[in-house]
Amino acid sequence: MFSDVEMMVFMEELEEKIQLINDNVLLLEKDGESPAVIQEIFRAAHTIKGSSAVMGYEKMSRLTHEIENLFDRLRQGTMKVTTPMVDILFEALDTLKALKDEITGDAGEVDEAPVIQKIKSCLGETGGCAPAAAETPAPAGPVVSEQPDGTFKDMLQIDDILENMVREAEVRGYQAYKINIEVDPGTQMKNVRAFLVFESLQQVGDIIRSIPSAEDLQDGKYDQGFTLVLFTKEDQGEITNLLMSIAEISRVEVVPLEINGHVADGDTAVENNFGQQAAEVNETRKDSGDIKKAAAPHMEKTTIKTVRVDVQKLDSLMNLVGELVIDRTRLDRFSEIFEGKYGSDDLAENILEISNHLGQVTTDLQDEIMKARMLPVATVFNRLPRMVRDIAQKLGREIDFIVEGQETELDRNVIEIIGDPLIHLIRNAIDHGIEPPEERVALGKPRTGRVKLKASYVESHIVITLEDDGRGMDAAKLKATAVKKGIITGEAAARMSDREALELIMAPGFSTAQVVSDVSGRGVGMDIVRNQIEQINGTVELDTSVGRGTTFYIKLPLTLAIIRALMVSLGEQVYAFPLTNVQETLAIKREEIKLIRHNEVIVVRGRVLPLVRLSNIYQMEEADEERLYVVILGSAERRIGVVVHRLIGEQEIVIKSLGNYLGQITGLSGATILGDGRVALIVDARGLVKELGTEELAYAAN
Amino acid sequence: MADNRNEEQAVVFYLREQTYGIDIDSVLEIIRMESIVQVPGTPHFIEGIINLRGRIVPVMDLARWFGLEASEITSSSRIIIVEAGESTVGMIVDSVSEVLRFPVSCIEPPPPMIGNMEFIRGVALFDQRMIILLELARVLREEEKTALDQLDMNALKSYV
Repeated sequence: MFSDVEMMVFMEELEEKIQLINDNVLLLEKDGESPAVIQEIFRAAHTIKGSSAVMGYEKMSRLTHEIENLFDRLRQGTMKVTTPMVDILFEALDTLKALKDEITGDAGEVDEAPVIQKIKSCLGETGGCAPAAAETPAPAGPVVSEQPDGTFKDMLQIDDILENMVREAEVRGYQAYKINIEVDPGTQMKNVRAFLVFESLQQVGDIIRSIPSAEDLQDGKYDQGFTLVLFTKEDQGEITNLLMSIAEISRVEVVPLEINGHVADGDTAVENNFGQQAAEVNETRKDSGDIKKAAAPHMEKTTIKTVRVDVQKLDSLMNLVGELVIDRTRLDRFSEIFEGKYGSDDLAENILEISNHLGQVTTDLQDEIMKARMLPVATVFNRLPRMVRDIAQKLGREIDFIVEGQETELDRNVIEIIGDPLIHLIRNAIDHGIEPPEERVALGKPRTGRVKLKASYVESHIVITLEDDGRGMDAAKLKATAVKKGIITGEAAARMSDREALELIMAPGFSTAQVVSDVSGRGVGMDIVRNQIEQINGTVELDTSVGRGTTFYIKLPLTLAIIRALMVSLGEQVYAFPLTNVQETLAIKREEIKLIRHNEVIVVRGRVLPLVRLSNIYQMEEADEERLYVVILGSAERRIGVVVHRLIGEQEIVIKSLGNYLGQITGLSGATILGDGRVALIVDARGLVKELGTEELAYAAN
Repeated sequence: MADNRNEEQAVVFYLREQTYGIDIDSVLEIIRMESIVQVPGTPHFIEGIINLRGRIVPVMDLARWFGLEASEITSSSRIIIVEAGESTVGMIVDSVSEVLRFPVSCIEPPPPMIGNMEFIRGVALFDQRMIILLELARVLREEEKTALDQLDMNALKSYV
């Protein structure tokens, strides 16, 4: 059986190669045939074929074998890429993914035969050369069966030292082999391949010599291949198999090492020399040992860079840091007490210094752990090109899909949630935004529509923009539709600015598609998109111009666990308002509060805003103060003013749940622990605004 | 340690002159009273939440849960942090006396007369004392949680 580590390496490589094929098939479709792309796919398929066969996943190996065949034909130019072929290739990729899931246990048994049949028929149709069936029984030991198409350059120089070592080894029952290894020319991580070779060989013997040097190999500084001298008790075949099991090793040649023109296979004459040159031999052995020792740590540094960690572990680390913060604050207080008691004593100052340093370290620690929870958005973005292609094909659009900023990192929780809204927006862009090719040509636009997805950092946020050069949206039309659907009244529509009209597309039940297709146009899209994004404290905005296209801006927090909040107090108790929902704060006098029937309101710049007293919501005593503060909260188009006693300021807080027992409590989204150990409640601003806020639109209409 | 099977250990505490016991396995720790932050919109018996070394833990007043007057906080008042199922909860009690070891044989089933006594696992008669053993899972039972869920925004609306 294979170890977990080997399995992991295999799965990672598999994923990478599948993605590579996916990307390149997309390229193939878009830009037509190019030798480089075909070569790339061929290599990736070849690698999967080899490693899956070694790991014993025959179905996968059979399938990739067929893909490889197909691309071999394309490579030789005996076949041309056609649209049906690309479709089959995508189907094959889907099957490959399904097979991967089968291995991980995420999916049931997969039947790879139909798609193999399709590939074969594809081969038969156009090629007409040797039937594919004849080539199928290869996979078992796939790469081994390949005929070497040239001889290895003999780079090894046998000197005295080596000669002596070989003789000595033979005395101890070791056989010396010269091993020539060639890696796939396209391999991404030559250093890793070399490392794996070293790793595998060191399990069965000692590597005495390497050309180029071990250091160069670790750095990937070699051309096609390299040569090693190995002392081992294993036989030739065993070593060949071992090496061929390493992915992207394309050719291996193991030959017994010849000394002075003779194959040294336990010649008795060696013994005579042995005694005489023992001292020298010892010395060289030590040398070789040193080389190995020097090589090993270096290798680890360059290859093992990542460790998988359960997110829960990171969470509990985060909690521990939280405790540290609290302790530090306590320590702070002690140092104050010390200072009061002993004046500016050395001891007191020391404590202060320690406490400050501790504070710094804890903050850094917190930042680092937060960073460890981040993943590149590529994990989401990578899935999209394929989806765009499928939708575009279904709808008869021609799309040039550009993705930028995949390396931008986000908290994994955010990444999990962001996928769906993005898919929705992209679907909309293709379905409603981009015109059919003929229409575009008629309009004097390039035939191919452009959809650009970009992620970038903006201050402590991430902004994802989705830009299309399609129809754009017409505010007047949006208004008309909204009135027709009864979302707003005609009067309200007349007063509405164009900006506000754009927001209408995110109103529930609004959909401008004339025909309900299965791609989009169910009228539930945009409000759900906004909801999902707001759930993770993000915002959506859009910009559009008729005939030129639409751009969506999605602003997301880097993390969900920590938010910026406005801290306010109500009597003794501290409350936190998530800053994303805070529009502004006002200081008001009591007489500025007006009554409409029994409801308190204030007028802010000519707009009537309903007021809520935090003390009422949370059943606390109302302070009878002249000066009050109002926090204006907003979510979507609703606004609400919340009366609080005092504003404390902005702060970063760590969101903690109230625990299972209390569960979800209306009006609260959790609690946080302040620096001094006190607990503050986090106001569910979104919920509050949703329930109590008035829609600006409705107000405009009144 | 054959004794283990025939013996039980319970944390014994007092509430309104009555003696109660909780299985020691479900007790995480016992802390002194500390500042409790009230949480609006929770049932009457929830006193609020506390910061238990970086963890937010809800605290209930056991007396009010029993339908008695709210506990009077004194210097001997304690919060027993218990764990049942997925929930960690603090319970305010008048005082904690000891950890008691008693034979299983002296546990009597709860008397059938007194209505809905599901939260009593039994009564231990030991050493001239009568200890009411609580069934924690019942005290922290599901219905209470659903009651919490049902509190909706209507309550809040009336304040506007």
